[in-house]
Amino acid sequence: MVEEPFEKENKAEEKFEPLIVAYCCNWCAYAGADLAGTSRFEYPTNIRIIRVMCTGRIDPTLVLEALRMGADGVLVAGCHPGDCHYQKGNYMMEKRFEYIKKAVKTTGIEPERVRLEWISASEGGKFAALVREMTEQIKQLGPSPFRLVNNSK
Amino acid sequence: MSEKKEKLKRKTDATIDAFKSQRLRWVVGRSQVKVEVEEAKYQQTVDSIMKDEVERHMIIGALKEKGPLTVEEIAQLTELQQSKIVQHIIALRKNGLISEVGEKNRQYLYQAI
Repeated sequence: MVEEPFEKENKAEEKFEPLIVAYCCNWCAYAGADLAGTSRFEYPTNIRIIRVMCTGRIDPTLVLEALRMGADGVLVAGCHPGDCHYQKGNYMMEKRFEYIKKAVKTTGIEPERVRLEWISASEGGKFAALVREMTEQIKQLGPSPFRLVNNSK
Repeated sequence: MSEKKEKLKRKTDATIDAFKSQRLRWVVGRSQVKVEVEEAKYQQTVDSIMKDEVERHMIIGALKEKGPLTVEEIAQLTELQQSKIVQHIIALRKNGLISEVGEKNRQYLYQAI
């Protein structure tokens, strides 16, 4: 398993700056994030956006591996229920997310580190507010236990 | 690396492997499941499958990491009950994921294939 990417960025840390991986669906959340940018809403730079075609495409292993590699939080953002471009992708993710949360909890990581949110293409403001809120929340939780595991090697 | 961190790493790796397994993939990730059982019972089944798969992958992980081990040694590494490990070993042998490779102190040694 590759473990370098997240380590490099956090080598010279003194003040804790969380690293959040966001999986955004192409049709709603990614467009929302784009709108946040073009509308010049300010939000923290702690987020790294990964564009996927649909939240229904996100395998539970993608979320778990992001945490395993040292991400402090994982955000999954998709279309509002009923708005999915592929009819029911977000419903699939909603169901799957319950199991992801359970798995994260049983492994011993705080389940608050993973979040599922619905953002439409017109909600740039909501996206910026969400990132701000999530960054604050993760800052309070502290660094991910894996960041410490990876760095102590 | 402290033992606690090692344990966390091992458990997370087992969980990731469990989610890659066919058995869990069949039940996780469907929006609607068309089975003739009530929702609560279905949830219970999925939970038990998830628990089993994570434990099984912890056993496989321990065997891959430390080579051939006896049930007692697996129990020390994974902190699972010996009776539970034997149940998992039966299932894992049936699926052809582990095999016996001799004996140690009159106990069978198992190895991941």
